[in-house]
Amino acid sequence: MTCIIVGGGRAGFQAAMTCRMLRPDQAVTLIDAEKETGYYRTLLPQFMVGALPEERLFFPTGNNDPLLTVRTGVRVKTVDCDSRSLTLEGGETLGYDRLILAHGGDPYLPGILAGPPCHGIFPIRDLTNARRAKAWLTDHRQVVVLGGSLVGVKTAVHLRQAGLAVALVVRRGHILLRALSPESTEVIEAHLRGLGIEICVNAPLEEISASGGAIDALKVGGRWLSCNTLLVATGTAPDTSFLEGTGLLTDGKLIVSPGLQTSDPRIFAAGDVAVISSRGEKISPNTWPQAVSQGRLAAENLYRAVPTPHRDMTRINAMDLHGLAMVILGPPVSGAEVISHARADAFVRRELFLVAGRAVGGALIGDITAAGTIHALINSQRQLTAREAGLIRPRTENVIRFPEQTGRRAALILSPKRSSL
Amino acid sequence: MKVIGVYMDRCLGCKTCELYCGAERGSEGKTLLAAVQETPVPRPRVRVEGGPGGAFPLQCRHCLQAPCLDACLTGALHRDEKSGMVIIQEERCIGCWTCTAFCPYGVIYPSCERKIAVKCDRCLYMEKPVCVDVCPTQALEVMELDEIEELLGEKRQNTTKALAGVGREGIRILDIGR
Ligand SMILES: Cc1cc2nc3c(=O)[nH]c(=O)nc-3n(C[C@H](O)[C@H](O)[C@H](O)COP(=O)(O)OP(=O)(O)OC[C@H]3O[C@@H](n4cnc5c(N)ncnc54)[C@H](O)[C@@H]3O)c2cc1C
Ligand code: SF4
Ligand code: SF4
Repeated sequence: MTCIIVGGGRAGFQAAMTCRMLRPDQAVTLIDAEKETGYYRTLLPQFMVGALPEERLFFPTGNNDPLLTVRTGVRVKTVDCDSRSLTLEGGETLGYDRLILAHGGDPYLPGILAGPPCHGIFPIRDLTNARRAKAWLTDHRQVVVLGGSLVGVKTAVHLRQAGLAVALVVRRGHILLRALSPESTEVIEAHLRGLGIEICVNAPLEEISASGGAIDALKVGGRWLSCNTLLVATGTAPDTSFLEGTGLLTDGKLIVSPGLQTSDPRIFAAGDVAVISSRGEKISPNTWPQAVSQGRLAAENLYRAVPTPHRDMTRINAMDLHGLAMVILGPPVSGAEVISHARADAFVRRELFLVAGRAVGGALIGDITAAGTIHALINSQRQLTAREAGLIRPRTENVIRFPEQTGRRAALILSPKRSSL
Repeated sequence: MKVIGVYMDRCLGCKTCELYCGAERGSEGKTLLAAVQETPVPRPRVRVEGGPGGAFPLQCRHCLQAPCLDACLTGALHRDEKSGMVIIQEERCIGCWTCTAFCPYGVIYPSCERKIAVKCDRCLYMEKPVCVDVCPTQALEVMELDEIEELLGEKRQNTTKALAGVGREGIRILDIGR
């Protein structure tokens, strides 16, 4: 009756904790390829620039639990669904009753970086590389961040805040290409430039120049940028190679039901690795909150006859870009109606994308009031009323109205059980 | 678990709770006079929504499955074992605002100047929540969740009785709350 969890990131950890809480008699083994597990990946940029001490990176740990085994520094090499077992690097075989795959995404590195090793180049994904980058950055303070994803933008801002010279290089289009509309990006780019970050768009990486074994310049979009550090944030892709031949993959992807179940009813997936198939769409939010909620749900669903579907399929992402607050509610959708409120002078843009009257995404920049309420409305998947659509205006112009309650005697309590609006 | 209950028929929408919460919990000076002169302007953790005839003071519900708790990127939000409440450890908060985008009630607020999120902790370390204390009409009350369950049970019974009374003819809309 053992449950094995592959991957000790946020999703895997949450799954392990939930399993232990729900089934106190069942042993759980968590296997992770990294030497250290249980840390806040999201805080690596702050850690790299020295704004956060290393001990803050780790999850608060509870009591020693004899039925929870955490094996670190070892990779799962194969899974055999028929014999319900997996093998580890080194050949050891472990049997499972239920399996949760939560092995996240591996950093994707552009092919050109596969050349001869060169000092000063680090992917932004794991603690080992973050430690190396941190040490390197102390006397190599001219940085190029490659990739305009959220991780790239976030890292660039923290580096700049710490006083480093930063250029943010984006292969095509604009920064946050898959997350924001061009109008919203304009506001962010103007703010980043104001912070002193150089932004190079439509600039694919063409050449790397090194001297003495360390990077000293990059050619991007036909132009040379001198730098002594290259931080790579060009996205992640789950490593599913060890699942080949298991029948769990579709076109190399680990597709799961809304209840996070794979094609093998004993195997579930959670976090960045899971691609949820729901209403004809394939959804992979790749966010921290999703890793938590999916990790929990996968553990809850392990023994349910009918797995409970995941309730929140949104990919909400928020961050503060050194004074500019931003909440991404969902990527632009072609053909969607856009309602917006903008004040360019104050770096404010709030927009919602509507399809058939339902909110499907949007962004709040510079003024993030009502973000949680709008998130709940997106989740409700129903048509917005005019008043709800009015939430796109900033706080000063809208209030939530309660119906007249004359003569009402009893106490009204918004249930703290499960919030729903 | 204890929660703050609201008597809807008593709330006038006067915002006294907002004012005093801001001064007591958000300001350095702890008096209204000092609070209004401070920068950043002290932020209350309760917000009165709606208008005359339908006002409602909203604060954190300390949800049993709290979306904000799952969302927190740093572990700053946690559940206090003893009280069951969702509490923020300010020194761990980095002001990323992820939690604010996950609270469906919109009651965890960004304090941009202080770079931390703020929310109601039911004045855990005080004798009584400030809002409950100052409400001129006593529209707010600290209640045990079980008491509320009882109250709701009572309402359900009344509804059943009333429905039986009308002999299933037509439809009757009852005052059964939301
Ligand atoms: C720098 C940075 C900043 C971020 N900021 C934000 C943010 O602000 N907001 C947000 O929502 N999200 C953010 N994210 C994304 C967020 O961190 C991820 O979505 C989340 O960590 C995914 O969790 P996970 O458990 O699915 O995967 P991971 O955290 O990637 O964990 C997977 C684990 O599995 C291990 N593993 C992989 N293969 C194997 C194998 N074969 N055998 C054993 N173990 C294996 C890996 O070593 C890894 O430890 C950020 C990410 C980064 C890198
Ligand atoms: S802040 Fe919002 S989501 Fe969090 S516990 Fe309170 S009411 Fe629930
Ligand atoms: S703003 Fe603070 S409490 Fe909220 S998610 Fe970010 S770190 Fe956690």
